[in-house]
Amino acid sequence: MSSLNPALILVLGALPALVLKGHLRAAYVLLLPVLSFLQLYTLPAGIRAEFEILGMLLTTLHLDRLSFMFAVIFHIAAFLLILYSLHTRDRLQQMATLIYAGCAIGAVLAGDLITLFIYFEAAALSSVFLIWARRTPASYGAGMRYLIVQVISGLLLLTGIILHARSSGSIEFTQMDPGTPGGALIFLAFGIKCAFPLLHNWLVDAYPQATVTGAVVLSAFTTKMAVYALATAFAGTEILIWIGLLMTAFPIFYAVIENDLRRVLTYSMINQLGFMVVGVGIGTELALNGTAAHAFAHILYKALLFMSMGAVLLRTGRINGSELGGLYKSMPYTAGFCVIGAASISAFPLFSGFVTKSMIMEAAALEGYTLAWLVLLFASAGVFHHSGIKIPYFAFFAHDSGIRCKEAPASMLCAMAIAAVLCIYIGVFPQTLYALLPYQIGYQPYTLTHVITQLQLLFFSALAFTWLVRQGLYPPELRSVNLDADWFYRKPGRWLAEHAMQSIVAGEQKMGVWIKRLSFSAGTRLHRHHGPQGLLAKTWPTGSMVLWVAFLLGVYLIFYYVY
Amino acid sequence: MNRKKHRYWLDSPDNVRKLVYGLYALCAALMLLDFFYHKHTNFPFENWFGFFAWFGFIACVALVLLAKQMRKLVKRDEDYYGDV
Amino acid sequence: MILLPHLELALLIPLLGGALVLLFRNRPRLREASSLFAGILLFLYITQLLGQYHGPSPVHTLLNISASLSIAFQLEPLGLVFALLASGLWVFTTMYSIGYMNGNSEKNLTRFYLFFSVSIAATMGIAFAANLFTLFIFYEALTLSTYPLVTHKQTSEARSGGRVYLGLLLGTSIMFFLTALVITWIRAGTLDFMPGGVLEDNTQGLAAVLLFTLFMLGIGKAALLPFYRWLPAAMIAPTPVSALLHAVAVVKAGVFSVLKISVYTFGIDYLATQEASVWILWLAVATMVIASIIALSKDNLKARLAYSTISQLSYIVIGAALAWPAAAMGGALHIVTHAFGKITLFFCAGAIYTVTKYTRVSQLNGLGHKMPFTFAAFLLAAFSVIGLPPFIGSWSKWLLIEGSVDTQHYIVLFAFALSTLLNCAYLLPIGLRAFFKPPDPAQTITGSGIQEAPLACLIPLCATAAATLLLFFYIQPLYDFLYPVFNS
Repeated sequence: MSSLNPALILVLGALPALVLKGHLRAAYVLLLPVLSFLQLYTLPAGIRAEFEILGMLLTTLHLDRLSFMFAVIFHIAAFLLILYSLHTRDRLQQMATLIYAGCAIGAVLAGDLITLFIYFEAAALSSVFLIWARRTPASYGAGMRYLIVQVISGLLLLTGIILHARSSGSIEFTQMDPGTPGGALIFLAFGIKCAFPLLHNWLVDAYPQATVTGAVVLSAFTTKMAVYALATAFAGTEILIWIGLLMTAFPIFYAVIENDLRRVLTYSMINQLGFMVVGVGIGTELALNGTAAHAFAHILYKALLFMSMGAVLLRTGRINGSELGGLYKSMPYTAGFCVIGAASISAFPLFSGFVTKSMIMEAAALEGYTLAWLVLLFASAGVFHHSGIKIPYFAFFAHDSGIRCKEAPASMLCAMAIAAVLCIYIGVFPQTLYALLPYQIGYQPYTLTHVITQLQLLFFSALAFTWLVRQGLYPPELRSVNLDADWFYRKPGRWLAEHAMQSIVAGEQKMGVWIKRLSFSAGTRLHRHHGPQGLLAKTWPTGSMVLWVAFLLGVYLIFYYVY
Repeated sequence: MNRKKHRYWLDSPDNVRKLVYGLYALCAALMLLDFFYHKHTNFPFENWFGFFAWFGFIACVALVLLAKQMRKLVKRDEDYYGDV
Repeated sequence: MILLPHLELALLIPLLGGALVLLFRNRPRLREASSLFAGILLFLYITQLLGQYHGPSPVHTLLNISASLSIAFQLEPLGLVFALLASGLWVFTTMYSIGYMNGNSEKNLTRFYLFFSVSIAATMGIAFAANLFTLFIFYEALTLSTYPLVTHKQTSEARSGGRVYLGLLLGTSIMFFLTALVITWIRAGTLDFMPGGVLEDNTQGLAAVLLFTLFMLGIGKAALLPFYRWLPAAMIAPTPVSALLHAVAVVKAGVFSVLKISVYTFGIDYLATQEASVWILWLAVATMVIASIIALSKDNLKARLAYSTISQLSYIVIGAALAWPAAAMGGALHIVTHAFGKITLFFCAGAIYTVTKYTRVSQLNGLGHKMPFTFAAFLLAAFSVIGLPPFIGSWSKWLLIEGSVDTQHYIVLFAFALSTLLNCAYLLPIGLRAFFKPPDPAQTITGSGIQEAPLACLIPLCATAAATLLLFFYIQPLYDFLYPVFNS
């Protein structure tokens, strides 16, 4: 028991969740993350568990400060997500959530690359059901594309691991050089999972197609596993700074013109991941602390935002900004929680984003990355603009769409309330979070300068929004699809693949006719040898011959033993 | 159709206008605060008067106007990929 | 149980089972019970052999034709694993057959069970063959004994399929396999399987390439381009036949022969130094990719699975042709891992057919709620065949990819990746349609009475599906057991 991997409690414990029913199941699925968390908490520091397979020694459990911190937030997330999902009768989703969360925890506790790979893949596999479970044609296709991209990432990771193991002689999961072939492939594999620019489309494509709970669950784990993996393997790799900056900057333009509010959140998620990636790229203790802290806070407020949008989707059946508005009248609590999530992601003082994002910006400034700092500042203003204002504004306020619906179910409200309280708690008492960070450093977010400058930035962004809306300059919400990098594989790529396949299939057909003619004549001739013409159609002649052969062989064998 | 609709505070355009004026006032106050304290900064340009305020405003306007232009390039019909 | 010292018992048990089937031909229950009994007995016997195994046994000659030509058996790890696999899955298949054949009111069941037993006996002969000649004899016996099973339905379609089956398998084996065998005999003076091979001192360069190519083309059961058409043709057989023989015994006999010849006639090192397997490597890579693409274009469920099998068999041939211990090990493990996955897929296809008479993938929409176990099992097995962790198929794929990286065959690596993605594309939709696409309105009316397949079908398919997941964690003993074969 002492070295039992908490991940296994969730993964294996998920199976009975499929057969249990009613309140018993609700209690059971809520208890699982708690049990698993207790197990994590009682694991002694520095513990390792090993397992030998195919001549390799795997370290299935490896606990350090960074992995502990990610495991903690993954547990909190798992509990909230399960709570949030209690309204659904779809047991598949809860099982997938538990397994997925378990795999995410297993991945951050993995001590070697192969264990990491296994958990990564298992996480991809369990999570895709959260997309398919929506059971629409669009979600079916999106889930398929999601899985394919995850499998590609897995194949890159696997090849990278093999190359890395050959050159370094070790499969330990630790700092790596992205300049070696193995390191580069692993870097790329993590990059896909982390939604690097041009590799990001699986996320934007798939998450908005997931179920109400599915999108929330998905938002918590995969990308943060990737952030953890990047922080462990590639801390201080300078190119990550520039990749991260691109991630913070380009999605916000899409977020402004996107109509599907959950898709707005996915673009905003890439923006937030960008901050973390920049932190990893800077690689100083402050920056890595910032990345870890921001990931922690991000999981909570992003889940909160997705939860509120999920509640809207559940109650109204709609999620496009062009069809919503005025919902604060019907769903006041949900609206309130959404505003708290929006304030947190925008980094208002007293909310969680304020005490975590600033660490990364401070680290960038201290290392003298002026341009990087300016881009991050731009992205900070931008994130307030599209996540902080746009989401609550178009869903709950703006023009009243006339929709009147019920408030979200109690279980959803509970989950949102807890997430909201945590967002504020972290914002007000940041030291609780800081105590969990990988490095012990004194960082004080609440300085006069920081508070005032941040408020200036945010309120003037709000001013810009107000001004643009009142001037009629703000782009209206329109039903549309915005082309993104997935166009390349969904249009020309698809066309190419289909045509290549058609010609191969046609070629094989031709070959088949030829081969069939050849074999047919051979087969017919064989028939003639074995039986009279008239009996050609019957199957017995050949059969009886075989029978005779077998019989003779049997007789011979018996003779042999009897002498 | 004589169903009485509850009128919310925000339903009145006057109240919305009040909110907007409140925001203007708050922004002005925040801008003026720059006169009254000493900024601890990493870059010299942060000390420019109202740097963060101007930056926030301009960044957002630029963001929205650019995104609007981008829409001309990337916007397609909702069923463009044929799976809705 | 009294253990006879020699391996003939592995052949005798299924043959005796066959005799019992004949004896009880008028008592269906006894007939089926005796078939099942023989299966279990054989499996127990093979496990006993495994338990007592301490290194390769001495060669046991059954029949001496001349000084260097004999029918002889030998116990060695590769054969033992193959025998264990075939006999173990035979038990499941027999159980499944009982449900399937009765569920579909098939006729001529005595003949069916009889030839099933004979096929297994032939498979055991292949597994324990101590030399090429023995292997060849039982290889042909397997072809002949499965022919009546392929043409079981006795329709014109079945006969036409049967002719392609017989024509291609016998034709290639006589034209190429036999020729290669004779060449080997003349050059090496022996047909025995020896660690490290028998050709090192007598065959070099192009001759080695040609010889290896002849062997591989001759083993039509390994289904390389362009001689794989017999496998889709064989899909006309009842599904249990497709499941055991055309996912496990027959096709695996082919790739088992490939591995056995690569390891014991040529030798891995010899293959590498002479680059004897280069042509076959590219042929297998082409087969793997092309068959995957064809699979994607097939709407008939069994045809799609057949092409998937062709593609997966090429994995094993590539494992041998890469001429590298890790890759060959991957190939050997793939025989086992793919067997569990593919037999489950066929079991599911059969269960679906038994209940609904549907044969096409596009008919499956929305069936998942009526047959949840069948389709869940299908998905698990599909994940395994694709090679996703934590399913057993991922280990063999891991080793194969490791082999292609180690030998710096990056095109092969890329082909594996491409094939993996194609696997996803043609296997997953089958299960996913059932769960996540709404049923067609026309079918909701006719299909209102659909429920799960009979238990005799359901239990085996659930068991093998569970095995694809559980064996992921217990692959190590198998790996250790096979390790000496490839790392001498």
